[in-house]
Amino acid sequence: MSTGTSHPGRDRRVIVVWMVTSVALFLVMVTLGILMRLAQGDVMAITPQTFYALMTMHGLGMAGTLFSAGIAMVWYVAARHARPSRLAMWIAWALFLAGGLALLAATLIGKFAAGWYTLYPLPFLKATWPGWSTGLTIVSLMAMGVGWLVALLDILRALAVEHGIARMFAWDRFGAGAGREAAPAGVLIGAVCAVAGVLGTIVGAASLMMYLFQWFAPATQFDPLLLKNSMFMFGHTIVNVAMYCGIGVVYELMPGFTGRPWKVTKTVAVAWNATLAFILFAYFHHLYMDFAQPVTLHVIGQIASYSSAVPATAVTVFGLGGQLHRSGLRWSFVPAAFTLGILGWVLGGITAVVDSTIAVNLVFHNTLWVPAHFHTYFLVGFVLLLFGFVHHLLGSRAERLAKSGLVVMLTGGYLFVLMFFLGGLWSVPRRFASYQAIPYPDLVAHATRFAAWGAVGGSLFLLGALLYAASLVTGRQPAPDREG
Amino acid sequence: MVQSLAALVSLVLALIVVAVALVVVRRASRRDPAGYANVYRVRRYYAIGLIGALAVLLVLTLARTPYAAAAAPPPDLKVEAFGWMWAWEFVVDGESRGPRLELPAGKLVEFAVSARDVNHGFGIYDPQGRLVAQTQAMPGYVNPLRVRFDEPGTYHVLCLEYCGLGHAVMMGEISVQ
Repeated sequence: MSTGTSHPGRDRRVIVVWMVTSVALFLVMVTLGILMRLAQGDVMAITPQTFYALMTMHGLGMAGTLFSAGIAMVWYVAARHARPSRLAMWIAWALFLAGGLALLAATLIGKFAAGWYTLYPLPFLKATWPGWSTGLTIVSLMAMGVGWLVALLDILRALAVEHGIARMFAWDRFGAGAGREAAPAGVLIGAVCAVAGVLGTIVGAASLMMYLFQWFAPATQFDPLLLKNSMFMFGHTIVNVAMYCGIGVVYELMPGFTGRPWKVTKTVAVAWNATLAFILFAYFHHLYMDFAQPVTLHVIGQIASYSSAVPATAVTVFGLGGQLHRSGLRWSFVPAAFTLGILGWVLGGITAVVDSTIAVNLVFHNTLWVPAHFHTYFLVGFVLLLFGFVHHLLGSRAERLAKSGLVVMLTGGYLFVLMFFLGGLWSVPRRFASYQAIPYPDLVAHATRFAAWGAVGGSLFLLGALLYAASLVTGRQPAPDREG
Repeated sequence: MVQSLAALVSLVLALIVVAVALVVVRRASRRDPAGYANVYRVRRYYAIGLIGALAVLLVLTLARTPYAAAAAPPPDLKVEAFGWMWAWEFVVDGESRGPRLELPAGKLVEFAVSARDVNHGFGIYDPQGRLVAQTQAMPGYVNPLRVRFDEPGTYHVLCLEYCGLGHAVMMGEISVQ
């Protein structure tokens, strides 16, 4: 198989296959999420064993699927400016698919239920699921991780070969080469995402190796705080990177709609290099409530989390504003989805920054405020960027149906996350299979009602996504029209 | 209350963002090739303002962390709290009190929180059902959490870290008189 980019049709094929796989798995995970909210809302009965297996699959599946989709989006951008390997992408896709299917088996059949970040030693101690499902989960995650590493390292290789390391990270904006043309923004963001993704995945791989060792040798003991740090470094980084991969696509494609270039200036270069550091250090905010962790790391976590708001808004959001403002843009599906996706990212980001304040986290940590913020920047953020990208890739003559789907997704999505926010405000704890044992009748009543309405919102979102999928089928365009 | 203030701040900022987005979206359809220059003119002031605001917030909020409280004068009472699948146990002066604890009102209490198996979350809810403080309960580590119970009544401890099938029924009770 050729590894070059001389055949756009073959490039397109691998990305289309990735996107179809990602969106299909995403919709399965959405369905699991709706079932969980229905159970919490007392609308349907699900045993705790099944609930927590669904919860584990939903979390692992969403994080893995959205990160995989993000990698494919970055690969697409990289292929417009360099020659990443299609073979590497096919290998990564096969591992992604195999890992995803094996995870489904481990959780839905094996009932593995240690949660998406599988806090050590929960997967191994007094487990209520069979040992094989723990082993299969570890191996599945490792398989996906190997695939991600193959794809990301190859993207870095291709960008470095084509542009050189200084140019791909836009360091040339500050040296003798500053007068020359900068690399496209997509190259810079692709490089930042790939480096952060590689580092996060390597840390995850090391943690999973320890998990595998423990699985083979149950008497082994590792440090729970060390593994908590490493699993959050892994998990937080990949979900954060997924979001930035989506933003890279916006930088790459939006100028095609507005007719304005989105250049890598010194400001943009500083912003994205700083973002790389913020991505890697922000994960400490997950451990604020571990008082045994050195206080310096907590403070770094808050500073990194706060600081990430500066490049995100002053560079990316203002950059998007500069793209849109009086540009004469026609609001077709792609720019609409991109703009709404960035809006969702900002709204989720605001509530994330609020929660990253240690004094606030004291009363928000592991309440529903947490899923509220990350569902906001994923469900009505990244996922809209994903659908915008899919639309760019596949196109549809049924634009009106596609936009209708978008409106329904937005309505359902915001209703869904609003119920989480209200839950957080009311101190509703997260990850409860049922609220009925909570000794506060008012809290139980509110939590149950929020969950039921959340299920309505989630179902509306799913309906919107299906309407959008229908628009792709009914308005199908021939492939050659869509080469980009 | 911290929750209400945080939610109010989030809501106000979100409304501002949505309002600005609506303005930008409405004007996007009009065409002015140099229109983007206005956006970048505003950006410098925005960035300076944002960095200043975040710096002030950092200084103000980092002075109010639960770790700073641990360095304050000694507590009036010390209580050990252990989590395991799926119950809480309070220990006072080496004597187990099971999942129920009685405390005098107005005293500063330090909970030395740990776990005997997996990670748990020690979340204290006040008599109205609002979360007032929490820390993680981790095997092999002790997290000191200080709380002053000014309001008499029945407080409850809920588990705030997923710990397996009984996570949602893992409760403790603190009676403050």
